[in-house]
Amino acid sequence: MGLGAVARSKVSRTLVPIAVTAAILAILPSVWFGDSPYTTGLAVQALVFACYGVGFNLIFGSTNQLFLCVGALAGVGGYGAAIFADRASQPIWLGIAVGTASAAIVGGLLSWIAVRRSLGIIFTGIVTLVFSLAFTNLLLGQRDLTGSETGLVLPDAADRLADDRVGGYYFFTGLLVVLLIVFRVLQLSHIGWAFRALRDDEVAAELAGVDVARYRVYAATVGSAMIGLTGALYAYSAGFISPATYGFEFVDVRVLVLVAFGGLGALLGPVIGAGVFAVLDERLTTSLQLREVFYGVFVIAIFLFFRRGVVQTVVDLAARLGRRPGKGSRGEPPLQGESLRP
Amino acid sequence: MRAVILDGIVLGLAFGMLGVGMTLVYGLGGVLNLAYGQIVVLGAIVTSLVMDEGVSTFLAAVVGVLAATGVAVLLDLTLMRPVYRQHGEERTLMGLLLTLGVAFVIGGLLTWRYPVGSLYINISGDPISIIGVPMTVGSVWASVITLAVAAALLLFFGLTTFGRGVRSVIQDETGARLVGINPSFVRTVIFALSGALAGIVAITQAMNAPLTVTAGFELTTFALIVTVVGGLGSVAGAFLAGVLLGVVNTLSAHYIGQYITTVILLGAAALTILIRPRGLLGR
Repeated sequence: MGLGAVARSKVSRTLVPIAVTAAILAILPSVWFGDSPYTTGLAVQALVFACYGVGFNLIFGSTNQLFLCVGALAGVGGYGAAIFADRASQPIWLGIAVGTASAAIVGGLLSWIAVRRSLGIIFTGIVTLVFSLAFTNLLLGQRDLTGSETGLVLPDAADRLADDRVGGYYFFTGLLVVLLIVFRVLQLSHIGWAFRALRDDEVAAELAGVDVARYRVYAATVGSAMIGLTGALYAYSAGFISPATYGFEFVDVRVLVLVAFGGLGALLGPVIGAGVFAVLDERLTTSLQLREVFYGVFVIAIFLFFRRGVVQTVVDLAARLGRRPGKGSRGEPPLQGESLRP
Repeated sequence: MRAVILDGIVLGLAFGMLGVGMTLVYGLGGVLNLAYGQIVVLGAIVTSLVMDEGVSTFLAAVVGVLAATGVAVLLDLTLMRPVYRQHGEERTLMGLLLTLGVAFVIGGLLTWRYPVGSLYINISGDPISIIGVPMTVGSVWASVITLAVAAALLLFFGLTTFGRGVRSVIQDETGARLVGINPSFVRTVIFALSGALAGIVAITQAMNAPLTVTAGFELTTFALIVTVVGGLGSVAGAFLAGVLLGVVNTLSAHYIGQYITTVILLGAAALTILIRPRGLLGR
């Protein structure tokens, strides 16, 4: 393959999937759910989870750091923005910037600690889980600041950010596209090579001169900023936040499931996962408890049979069926959705 | 002060009891069973259902413990098999995620079928005075059962051949296999033991306060904290950590305030991981 072809394929690979996603998301309201407030609300929710998913995908999917504190990081962003803007009487955008920066710092710090103490996946998971629970407890305890479980109403927030539901939909579509582009650019830059190297074999990456620790902290900082930004923007679009908005049971579990469904590390994994689960949720609203059972079955099935994500498995299967058996399936290596660890 | 510390020890024994079932399974195969709290709840609900049929409390408790044991064995024989085919971190990660799924399935089914289910074992009687502090009969019973179980476990792992076999698998799976120990069988036994311990936890917890159907997640969290602080795989460590955390809990709840207590407990767990990742008595 010539240099020009490489460059061209790089550009097309960078832009085409994201452009297609953006186009589909843009026409979705007019061809499918119109302006029904209920469905649009669900769609906004799905977009928010897709955004969380992109951040989580960068942290866990790209650098193997099991951050079980997506909800808490979003909460740092959301509460940080709300409290700062309200207490310091600052404009909303500054609050959002402060919230995002706080989330980035917290996430980077957690990662730095984990790297410094060389905690494995499991201990990173436990420490971040403990952080999540402590954060929720702090929210509940600091009644004057956070309103405890009654939550915080963000005055005149909704009409500034998005005057109506459909506006909110397009707003979060825009956010998602931006986050996807950032993710893609990182993936294709030298940072992305380092990510892949350290994810596939940490020791080998270290020996090859990749500063594993540094790239982990980078990924965690950028991913946490994405999550914090989404959390802050969501706070202002919903106009109301409570500890449950960012609760572990509500956010983390779902993000983990939908990212795993779409394929860890895959660019569009979180988008596909969020879309599928939004549709499922709408169909399964009959019983909250049964939905939980269903989620559980899904998690088990995904990790037993579709280690590389349902989407990638189906694509592989289709590719294998498309080719003649025995001819060998050694084409171009798949760009996205490589296995969790081959 | 004396009363606060004694309360803390009683609570701590309950914590330790909660952690020991999780720590055993982790120590043996590197699987953190996140469905542990839900298995405890399952034992509690089964016990309460059997009690509703008019069966004596003791018999009902036995049935509950057996039910929890059964679920644990089932889990080991089905979902844990592919997990144990993996190695190292991959195994731990897969175990973590699969048992998280199991936690949702068990928890969801139970709350769906018995939305207001709970177990409370009311043991009537006057408070018993221990070193001058009156304790409710229920908490004394729970502590006595816990201490007996702790002693039995320590003796089992210290003295019996099978217990030593288990410890050999904990230390070195390949080595144990070479000297003729079947790790897979040992793991099934330990999973069963862990299930039985979950059932006993359900009973002892219900002697103090009602154990509701939604308690699973919280129980798992406490078990996890105790396991981590005590040292993964260490029975004595789990009880030591449990008692320490229990005393810290009641002291800070008494002198500082309830809400900050959970934060302090979580902070203690985080600090342990950072300062001494092996835990108090871990290898």
